[in-house]
Amino acid sequence: MTLKVYADRMSQPSRTVILFCKLNGIDFEEVRIDLAKRQHLTPEFKEINPMKQVPAIVDGRFKLFESHAILIYLAGVFPGVADHWYPADVFKRAKIHSVLDWYHSNLRLGSAAYVRNSTLAPLLGLPLNPKAAAEGEKLLLASLVQLESVWLKGKGRFLLGSSQPSIADLSLACGVMHLEILDDEDRDRILGPHKRVLKWIEDTRIATRPHFDEVHSIVFKLKEKLKKQRSKENDFGESESIRKAPLHSKM
Amino acid sequence: MALKLYVDRMSQPSRAILIFCKKNGIEFEEVKIDLAKGQHRTPDFAEVNPMKQVPAIVHGDFTLFESHAILIYLASAFPEVADHWYPADVRQRAKIHSVLDWHHSNLRRGSVGYIFNTIIALAFGLPLNPNAAAEGEKLLSASLATIESFWLEDGPFLLGNSQPSIADLALVCEVMQIEVADENDRERILGPHKRILKWIEDVKNATAPHFDDIHVIMSPTKERLKELKARVNKL
Repeated sequence: MTLKVYADRMSQPSRTVILFCKLNGIDFEEVRIDLAKRQHLTPEFKEINPMKQVPAIVDGRFKLFESHAILIYLAGVFPGVADHWYPADVFKRAKIHSVLDWYHSNLRLGSAAYVRNSTLAPLLGLPLNPKAAAEGEKLLLASLVQLESVWLKGKGRFLLGSSQPSIADLSLACGVMHLEILDDEDRDRILGPHKRVLKWIEDTRIATRPHFDEVHSIVFKLKEKLKKQRSKENDFGESESIRKAPLHSKM
Repeated sequence: MALKLYVDRMSQPSRAILIFCKKNGIEFEEVKIDLAKGQHRTPDFAEVNPMKQVPAIVHGDFTLFESHAILIYLASAFPEVADHWYPADVRQRAKIHSVLDWHHSNLRRGSVGYIFNTIIALAFGLPLNPNAAAEGEKLLSASLATIESFWLEDGPFLLGNSQPSIADLALVCEVMQIEVADENDRERILGPHKRILKWIEDVKNATAPHFDDIHVIMSPTKERLKELKARVNKL
């Protein structure tokens, strides 16, 4: 029975799991759970994941949710997954757990909160929330600094000084790519200063092509969709900078 | 190879690691990093953990932080640790990862949000924040309900296990943090959850006497914080 991956590509951890499967030639069926259409709230999906979140997987009769748990599980049960994704070495593995854990409460929390509350919410049928966006931004900025100074310290191209990518690189790079949903000004302001992060994203992209670009095409589509939506709201042709949420007004 | 645990017993994840080591007969040196005194912000400690948080460990020349990563590492590196703490079976293990991940954004976030902003902030000379506390309480209560209805469904321990895993330790130590809050608050939040109370008792018994030993700090801390709050209210 084929592995089923329940995902919405608008969700960053969904993209990470899909990317991992494609990279490793893992045969799977992608079942779309459309968040904007509230499909994650149906009784059918509750059977798959009572937490009502994507991604989730079903492997035979085994159900699992939480993207990091899923990545580790897939690395463990599918032969042909190269060791560097989730090394057998207990020390390397521990460091990977460490960055994956840090991610939850820092980069993931900050970037998801900032992107959703400043930009993405309308596509999910939710209101923007400038206050939550400001809090998210603070955490996001601090996390990017830590990413550069702690996790990307060392000679290797990838996290933890490694010369090859791991599931941690996949998860965190997808997390940073989530920021591409933002409009160019926002994205440049936040990511621009972080040259080391940008280099690492590029290295990760190169190491995982063409799947990285394919999986992230939706991010750029969302960005365009939101751009069009914003300019449609501008009936009087005012410039975008005037119409931005108050938290970073250029006026 | 010497193992050093950099901990503050007031930190929930610090307690989980201490209990785990004691229960499994893992020898270690406990290095206290007093959070209320700001010892986590010293340059010396930054060498151990640049994120400036407890717990952190140094094992020989290997350093590690993040409590879940530490628990997994210790379970893997010390052969005397029984399998039920972190089973070798890939599916059982996956479920443990799943609940530990869920914990970050749910029980942990709710518990810290509530308890820090209701009382613990005072120990750091920071003001209380009733709005943040209310948000925290909402998430905390929802998380306790989810633990009861889902994670403990086939109990006695999480994930239908008949013996505790590292996940039980991590989550129970978090729930125990409410012992420093006011009795009425504790009763309101925890009282309705009989299944949770039984689970705490089961984890306590499975790790006796260490669970109580490590949690001895809670009661005097509660009294100290109570006095601090009374003083602050008088101002």
